[in-house]
Amino acid sequence: MRRLAIALAAFGLVIAACGQPAPGAGTSAAPSATVAATASPTRGGTAIVAIWQFPATLAAHYANQTVTTIVDNGVLEGLAATATDGQYYPTLATEIPTLANGAAKVSTDGKKLDVTWKLKSGVKWSDGEPLTSADIKYTWEIWMKDPKVNNRTGFSEIESIDLPDDATAVVHYKSVYAAYPLNFFWLMPKHLLEKEADISKTDYVRRPLGTGPFKVTEFKTDESITLEKNPNYRDAGKPYLDKVIFKSVPSSQVGLAQLKAGEVHAMWNLTEAQTPDVEKESTLALLVVQGPTVERIELNTAQNKEYTDPNSTHPVLGDIAMRKALLYATPKQQIIDKLLFGKAKPGSSPVSQGWAAYKEPQEGYDPKKANDVLDAAGWTKGSDGIRTKGGVRASLTYATTTGDQLRERVQQVLVEEWKAIGVEVKIQNQPSSVLLAGSCTGKDPRKLGTFDLLMYASTPEIDPHSTILPRYHSKQIPTQADCSGQNYTRFKNPEADKAIEEAGGTLDAEKRKAAYAKVMKALNDAYVIIWMYDRANIDARVTGLQGWQGNTWQRFTWNVQDWWLKK
Amino acid sequence: MGRYVLRRLLQALPLLFAISVASFAILKATPGGPLAAYEGNPSFTEEDRLRLEHAFGLDRPLPVQYLSWLGSFLTGDWGYGFASHQPVLTLIGERLPNTLTLMATVFVVVLLLAIPIGVTTALRQYSVFDHVVTGTTFAFLSTPTFWLGLLLIIVFGLQLRWLPLGGVQTPGAEFDIGDRLRHLILPVATISLVQVGSHVRFLRASMLETIGQDYMRTARAKGLAERVVVLRHALKNAAIPLVTVVALDIPELFVGALVTEQIFGWPGMGRLFLDAAFRSDYPVLQGILAVSSTLIVLSNLLADVAYGYLDPRIRYS
Repeated sequence: MRRLAIALAAFGLVIAACGQPAPGAGTSAAPSATVAATASPTRGGTAIVAIWQFPATLAAHYANQTVTTIVDNGVLEGLAATATDGQYYPTLATEIPTLANGAAKVSTDGKKLDVTWKLKSGVKWSDGEPLTSADIKYTWEIWMKDPKVNNRTGFSEIESIDLPDDATAVVHYKSVYAAYPLNFFWLMPKHLLEKEADISKTDYVRRPLGTGPFKVTEFKTDESITLEKNPNYRDAGKPYLDKVIFKSVPSSQVGLAQLKAGEVHAMWNLTEAQTPDVEKESTLALLVVQGPTVERIELNTAQNKEYTDPNSTHPVLGDIAMRKALLYATPKQQIIDKLLFGKAKPGSSPVSQGWAAYKEPQEGYDPKKANDVLDAAGWTKGSDGIRTKGGVRASLTYATTTGDQLRERVQQVLVEEWKAIGVEVKIQNQPSSVLLAGSCTGKDPRKLGTFDLLMYASTPEIDPHSTILPRYHSKQIPTQADCSGQNYTRFKNPEADKAIEEAGGTLDAEKRKAAYAKVMKALNDAYVIIWMYDRANIDARVTGLQGWQGNTWQRFTWNVQDWWLKK
Repeated sequence: MGRYVLRRLLQALPLLFAISVASFAILKATPGGPLAAYEGNPSFTEEDRLRLEHAFGLDRPLPVQYLSWLGSFLTGDWGYGFASHQPVLTLIGERLPNTLTLMATVFVVVLLLAIPIGVTTALRQYSVFDHVVTGTTFAFLSTPTFWLGLLLIIVFGLQLRWLPLGGVQTPGAEFDIGDRLRHLILPVATISLVQVGSHVRFLRASMLETIGQDYMRTARAKGLAERVVVLRHALKNAAIPLVTVVALDIPELFVGALVTEQIFGWPGMGRLFLDAAFRSDYPVLQGILAVSSTLIVLSNLLADVAYGYLDPRIRYS
């Protein structure tokens, strides 16, 4: 019984692991022009949102759960955020600093970057204290000083911050840090926290103070979090709702049941398989937003062994013909239609959304072509239907996270498809805590190189460099000496390396886009990754809850200040 | 008797120490670890990992980690949860009232049902009532709680809409005892229906054995009323095996019901433990394990002492 419970919970955990936070998720003033009024909003009321994961903390600088962002969207704000088309828009800043408007400047030697931010005037924290540029500097200081912060991306690139006046902050970067617009995604209140020796031991962890449309008034662990209207919110007419309550539910199935029973108004994160259930209810609506997350199968080109030599060759997958054949024998569209209820798109690259999106599709499903390629390359079928070449049997292992129903079904389909072209594939799944451990000490097979085929999902950030560099540069192949890289297929291409380095040294979007496209083309030409599908973020609500808008880069609560309840 | 209890308590110390060492070792051997949750983020670097390992004290040698935990645990400092940054005692303090409410209700409901049913089935062995009860209890006993719980949710929550689907109270509402009780019904029913079965069967078996004894005939021959014979002479003796079972239920008051709490979204100790287990939140896990193993050892002792009270034939040596 206990084991089953753990399996059930593990299932939830796996879902959590696939749905990595869209790193650009945050609260914002919605670009107001887009909030086309279908009906005029009514004020007041309480919206209850079901969440099947409960935030351990709401302090954004400590958190490592997607669900924290869902709640923080209503409470915390930063200088800028990302609109659904991938463009940045200012939140607490007056405008986005760019090279064009002169607020972002690259030094003459091309190695440093200065960014000048101006704050909107009259903004107050929800306790009534004014927001000043000192809060920007303080946010950076905390992120660098507090040993328990989740990561220091961007902040570690900052050399110093000058504060010419209360509304202006000049951020001096040590490098040309292209993702600077989202660096200050959450601001922290200096006046509240500066006297604290250790913020992790204060009430801020559960009731963070922000400038957002709501403030946290109650935090009941594993039960509910109550947000109430922030009277000091800068947009006087908003939020429309008086309260938003995030209610803990044990699983998305129960969340869905509560949505149908009218106990909650909205629920976060549905699986594709749950969508038909919502679609048949006239009082419910789905919000399906194509996200940047892409499910892929990575093919190990080096030997399958612990701390594999990046220069070794995989006996089966080392042959590009074999890699091509596996792609040709992968019916992506069929899998999407049958197993994902059409709620996804065939994948084509690691960057499917945003300004640098690369959408050149991989070759389609054609088992005959797969057979031809293998025949031509000298892989001949034996009496058992499995191919061999030079004494090497075309036998591979196929790993993904255990307990994920969808992935297990995809595996069953592919094992059959690949067997039909003479490739034997054995399923060898591992719990996500190991398979995606992310470190050599955690025995992550991707890091160690102990896999043949490995299926998982990953979510790029809005700035593609943080995806492309660690994943596809040949210097980023994890080894025993340096396990930090994420080039798991052991992909090596000098041209691609050069393009990545070029893109990293400039802020010119056109040049960068072209360089990344080159890398992604080289990657697909090497057939080292099968891009299965681009996954959508799916949420649901009762139709009486209005004002919702999808955003590719942010979670559904990003415009919670615009939500209202039909009376 | 006093010396016996004292000796048992002293014997428990090395046992508890061994349990805590073993559980620490098992926790540490589990793959993943507390930092696994961070690793999904592509921005999380090796440097971040080392920094957090140091901040959480995970970079120290294992014996040092264990001893420093033990030292602070014994002085009342149970440490902070890695994920929540809250003191472990606070985390336990938040959930314990919920778990106590749930499990104490279950405890009472189970005894109130099991004793009369168990006695009646034994007195009327092979009657229709006995067959029905034996059949029903056996069915519930063989039903996994996760299935039974979901079934109750579907029937009473979703279809009939008589009862809420989960949680301890309606979110956002003021405290209301009626609302609380309505939320309590389904989880209590889920656990009780399963537990009643085992208790009834225990009691029935030992009642049957007792009422066949010679002293029962003697009691009746003395002219004692049947009620007195059954309750004082039969039940008191027959209850002895049940006492063991009940005493061993006591730790559950603290530990909670892992599965049921999960299904009903009950914010109790079971969920705290499960969440902590998935996050490898060592301080929380070690705190809960230490308390629950202590309670198990103590309730065993309690069962033995209660035995002696109920049955003077048993001697402690």
